[in-house]
Amino acid sequence: MADSSQPIGYVVGGGLKENLNVRLNIPADQVQEGAFVVIESGQWQFYGLVTDLLLGATDPRFADEQSESRLPPALAHALHGQTLYTNLEVLPTLMFEVGPPGTAEAAQWLAARADERPRPIPVKTIPPHHAPVRLATAGDIAEIFGKPTEKGNFVIGYTREQNHPVCINLNKFVQRSSGVFGATGTGKSFLVRLLLAGLIQDNAASVLVFDMHNEYGFDDTASDTGLRVIGLRTKFPARVRVVGLGQGARIRGHTPDFNLEIAASDIVPADIEMLMRELNLKETTPTTLEALWNDFHEDWFCRFCQMRNGAVIETDEGKKIPAPDSVAAWANRAGVNVMAAEGLHAKLGRVFHLPYVVEQPAADGIGEVIKALEAGQHVVLSFGHHESDLDYLLVSNLLTRRIREAWEKRTNAFRSNGEGEPRPLVIVVEEAHKLLNREMAAQTTFSTIAREMRKYYVTLLIVDQRPSQIYDEVMSQLGTRIAGWLGDEDDIHAVLSGLAGREALRGMLARLQPKEEVLLLGWGVAMPLPVKSRRYDDQFWDELLGSAAKRSLAQNLKELGY
Amino acid sequence: MTTIEIGRLLRAGTTGFVVGCRVNQLDAPVFGGLVRVPLAGDDQVYGLIYDIHIDDDGLVRQLVTAEGVSEAVVADNRLNRNVPVEMSVLAVGYRQAGRLYHLLPPRPPLSLDVIYLCQPDEVRQFTANGRFGYFRHILRAKDLPVGELLAAHIQQAQAAHAAAGYRRWLNDAAQELITLLRDDYPTLMAVLGALGEIA
Repeated sequence: MADSSQPIGYVVGGGLKENLNVRLNIPADQVQEGAFVVIESGQWQFYGLVTDLLLGATDPRFADEQSESRLPPALAHALHGQTLYTNLEVLPTLMFEVGPPGTAEAAQWLAARADERPRPIPVKTIPPHHAPVRLATAGDIAEIFGKPTEKGNFVIGYTREQNHPVCINLNKFVQRSSGVFGATGTGKSFLVRLLLAGLIQDNAASVLVFDMHNEYGFDDTASDTGLRVIGLRTKFPARVRVVGLGQGARIRGHTPDFNLEIAASDIVPADIEMLMRELNLKETTPTTLEALWNDFHEDWFCRFCQMRNGAVIETDEGKKIPAPDSVAAWANRAGVNVMAAEGLHAKLGRVFHLPYVVEQPAADGIGEVIKALEAGQHVVLSFGHHESDLDYLLVSNLLTRRIREAWEKRTNAFRSNGEGEPRPLVIVVEEAHKLLNREMAAQTTFSTIAREMRKYYVTLLIVDQRPSQIYDEVMSQLGTRIAGWLGDEDDIHAVLSGLAGREALRGMLARLQPKEEVLLLGWGVAMPLPVKSRRYDDQFWDELLGSAAKRSLAQNLKELGY
Repeated sequence: MTTIEIGRLLRAGTTGFVVGCRVNQLDAPVFGGLVRVPLAGDDQVYGLIYDIHIDDDGLVRQLVTAEGVSEAVVADNRLNRNVPVEMSVLAVGYRQAGRLYHLLPPRPPLSLDVIYLCQPDEVRQFTANGRFGYFRHILRAKDLPVGELLAAHIQQAQAAHAAAGYRRWLNDAAQELITLLRDDYPTLMAVLGALGEIA
């Protein structure tokens, strides 16, 4: 493995648009695609990413003919050393002013800038010919991505060649919506667990997880290795609340901290409109819903549920007319198309029968969730056995709508009356394309959050395997993107949308090692970089919880009489 | 320093000169050998022998067709021949005011100047000076068997360096040749082929 401080090559050509070409003077197998390199050029340091490696020859005949067999080994080696070479294609991303070279001048220069330390800026010029290129050291990585020891920085992975830790800044991470993408089986949920553990430990924001598959709260078993996977509740018993959907729900054999039931009066017509595709509703639905709302207001859902569909009574003349408590009778009264109202009633049957939608919930579950989040706790909403898309769409949207209202209110109070600043909230949405696809994005609260709720301290963490299915407008707003391996061209295109140097990153994304490597992208990271993702294991927890874990070990020993 | 005189200058130009010698002087000079011609003061002109040829004369023409030429006649013809053995030398550098240059000499040596074969010390000194600048003169001479000449010269120079314990010279020389010739595939392969014979 090449020593970081030693040059690995020198610049031989290229430009800002077409990447820099670097002649490699170490064996090609010591550098990989995606390597983070530093180009030193007098007063500036340039940071770049290796996007390609190319074999070259000063004359094609040197490459074509196997001169090893004609020449003694020493001569053949000398010949190949000079005529056959590898060029790196380097995507320059950042430049950083380091001051004039030479100790005396540099010290003076640094002293003059003691107040404002120069920051890396997007690359605006290029290094000269023959500028030496070296692999980044741990110090370079820390300069760009942040020092692992500083608060708010979370080690998300390690560089592929030299295992230098790479951080993401969690404060920046929660400022804008972000996304974790990857084909199925590429370790998305482990990555989300890592991020959530980091966010909870850092405690700068509250986290609400819509845990469709009951993975995050309690301990789980990995689907591929069969090993036990620690849940967030296990490691943060005081900070994480697991909420089960529906009365008496049990999650992975555990009783949740409290149960969530939804009051029928919480459901508004917009919640139903959002289920248009799922319930196969007709275009007449909004009109019918509006009439229901006008007639019954908050009670519309209950009242509509209680109506009998198709019930008739016989008049004295023996004529059959709709019963007074039938859907048709109401439709006639309200001036709504009877067929449309009856159709809607029939289709809403699935919602009417949801066990967790009740007229009078035992407790104000939604209020509890909001209160816990405001109090700085983190909530994992486990769907238990209510795993259908209908459950997921209805509950997540309804809850998010309520949360959004609460946070908007608090933010406005903070801005106008100077009340306490709202605590940032990150909502984790799995299978996000179900909520944020092109048809639904306009209707769900999520797209509003993705687009503008940054101002209201609420952001999304989108987890998805088909980013191409997510509405472009939402995708383009994502700050930090963490992408695992993706095979589909459209998905790759979607993840890279709105980023510079897309073409160069495209291949890198398709060649990531599944389960082991991810590509960090977007506004939240200074430059794109593929990293070996951190392992979600006991060592991770030891490192994250650090001294706390050690203290408990010491305590244990003390209790045992040592 | 032992000096081996190998002949006297017949004719000269800026890029090379021709030395004539007697047959009994012919044991010392070899193809690819480094020679020097002292000029006024301590100055020298250096050259590489790239051709040794023996012209015929009328007597030889008669003798080669005669039958049973006795040893005495052969020896007499060689020792007392009228036409000298000629050695063509390529100018590759000079010394002036104590400093070595791998450049063409400012002026050629004059007729009848004495030519000496360079001793291993001088070979080491000349070939280790600078960065093989004198290869230029050899590579420019397209009519010569460049590969063979280089191989012969490098073999001798390498022996001189190796005797002094410096073994990297051959490698450095090969590297320099590859650098100079990497755009000229046929010449480079011819040179490397020849070098391969001595490696």
